[in-house]
Amino acid sequence: MEIETSKNPLLLSKVEEPAKTPSGWRIIWRELVRDKVALLSLIFLVLITAFVYGISLFLDQEEIVTVDLFAIHQPPSADFWLGTDYGGRDIFGQLIIGTRNSLSIGILVTVMTGLIGIIFGMVSGYFGGAVDNIMMRIVDFFMILPFLMIVIVFVAIVPKYSILSFSLIMTAFLWMGKARLIRSKTLQERELDYVQASKTLGSSNFRILFTQVLPNLSSIIIVAMTLNLAANIGLESGLSFLGFGFPESTPSLGTLVSYARNPQTLQDRWWIWVPASLLILVLMLSINNVGQALKRATDARQRRG
Amino acid sequence: MSKELLKIENLKTSFRIKDDYYAAVDDVSLTVNKNELLAIVGESGCGKSALAFSIMGLHSRATIEGNILFKGKNIANLPPNDMNKFRGKDMGMIFQDPLTALNPLMIIGDQIGETLLLHNKNLSVNGRKVKVIELLKKVGIPRPEYTYNQFPHQLSGGMRQRVVIAMAIANNPELLIADEPTTALDVTIQSQILDLIKVLKEDSHAGIILITHDLGVVAEMADRVAVMYAGQIVEIADVYTIFENPLHPYTRSLLNSVPNSDETNSRLHVIQGVVPSLQNLPREGCRFSDRIPWVDSSFHEKNPVLHEVSPGHFVRCTCYKHFYFPHESKEEKQNVIS
Repeated sequence: MEIETSKNPLLLSKVEEPAKTPSGWRIIWRELVRDKVALLSLIFLVLITAFVYGISLFLDQEEIVTVDLFAIHQPPSADFWLGTDYGGRDIFGQLIIGTRNSLSIGILVTVMTGLIGIIFGMVSGYFGGAVDNIMMRIVDFFMILPFLMIVIVFVAIVPKYSILSFSLIMTAFLWMGKARLIRSKTLQERELDYVQASKTLGSSNFRILFTQVLPNLSSIIIVAMTLNLAANIGLESGLSFLGFGFPESTPSLGTLVSYARNPQTLQDRWWIWVPASLLILVLMLSINNVGQALKRATDARQRRG
Repeated sequence: MSKELLKIENLKTSFRIKDDYYAAVDDVSLTVNKNELLAIVGESGCGKSALAFSIMGLHSRATIEGNILFKGKNIANLPPNDMNKFRGKDMGMIFQDPLTALNPLMIIGDQIGETLLLHNKNLSVNGRKVKVIELLKKVGIPRPEYTYNQFPHQLSGGMRQRVVIAMAIANNPELLIADEPTTALDVTIQSQILDLIKVLKEDSHAGIILITHDLGVVAEMADRVAVMYAGQIVEIADVYTIFENPLHPYTRSLLNSVPNSDETNSRLHVIQGVVPSLQNLPREGCRFSDRIPWVDSSFHEKNPVLHEVSPGHFVRCTCYKHFYFPHESKEEKQNVIS
């Protein structure tokens, strides 16, 4: 058969569209429409993220965290929408900057742990044998390290804390779960015939890993990362609350809530800690709702749509 | 250049089970010539697929001993990178189950195109698409340009098997291994797929190894037949000899087990016992002896080897000389042989 590329009628004729089967996005969308709570959560998340990142462009962190002795413990007013803390610093500004910082850390840690987990887990699960054994022992080693204690030590020895360095420390101790999850799924995928078939076509192992196995893992990766995002934001807030996260000069949701450790603040000055606490609660719930909807969308038996 | 395409010498593929190695393929030697279809038959678990996987180098955790000479080059235990130069280009494989042999998340066109991309670097994107559509047409897919953009789950089993075949033949391989290509399909589709393989063979003059347990398929398709039992080849001959003059007790039992419409006898012949599992395989003596207990054990060889009874016809063990079916009388049988 001789076919000339330029004159081939097959390419020139308009190829009719194959019948639409629901694509991944469509299934997710259907699931969200059925689950109104998840849809609301998603809208809320998008709005709050856009709002926080948008507003914080116009806010100056330096100015907000500067102590103003004439405005200590002001209740909410027209000047200070959510009042001020014991340093006379605007709570509203801190809330915006703090939410931005917390979200940034959450996303950064989720993406970094995700990347390490995916690569580590896929290589370990796909090659198996001795490679798998060694890599999983490394995971075990990281698992037994006392995470909190090491973070406390790091806080003590690292002089200048930034979002990046804090994320790196958290990442170093949070990627193992992801690696294990991905490994176990890769072990399953590896045994399927399409992997063998791809080998018989002459594809190299890395090509098979990243062009064939990875797309087939994408659903669980998306679900795991979404649910992890909530956990990571919570973890950062928790550490900051305990005083092992950011200093007060870098507000986060956790530092705002930590003001409530002072009994007087807890009792009389609700405006300092209630908004941040509520925001943490709502953010966690929303992310988890969306995550659950995604999870159902990836499993045909649990779908509502 | 000889006609010999693939020559396997004393191949032994062993798997590790609980710190011990067990040979799933044991002392297999065979050759495949150009433009020849060699059928490998045997029960489930006798090592047919293990043999095919050994040739393609797909076993990740097995020890392979012996030589696999492909066009004179030994490809046994070749590192994957060197192997990838052959796989997909000079040798292709058709898998048993078309439902799992395709990546569920890739469109058909990309899956077939991948092997073209890997072995035919100077093909343009458009040229590749034309080639893929041409291939889809060749394997008899009715609307190739439409199927190009479909996902595997949108196709029927027969269509998927055609796609799998298109993947295997994309680069006109000289050796094609079909591992039970029709097992997962219904009978009408089976015959279509087999016809397709026949046509491909006539077109490309490739050597084909067809693994099956359907003797009807063998009679229809094969030039030569190798019968495998418990990891060994027990009889190998051209297709006429196998059906006209089968010698090994296992081959004869197999042929006797095929339902025959002419026969008035209502009961089918059944081979006694079961195939021993890999761990319980007898390592000495004739491996089939347990399943023909009525044949005196002294008739079996201690270490059965392949005997050439006539040119190109090999039989393992000497027990075939004394074998008879229980319902035949012993004397009658021995008269036939002598």
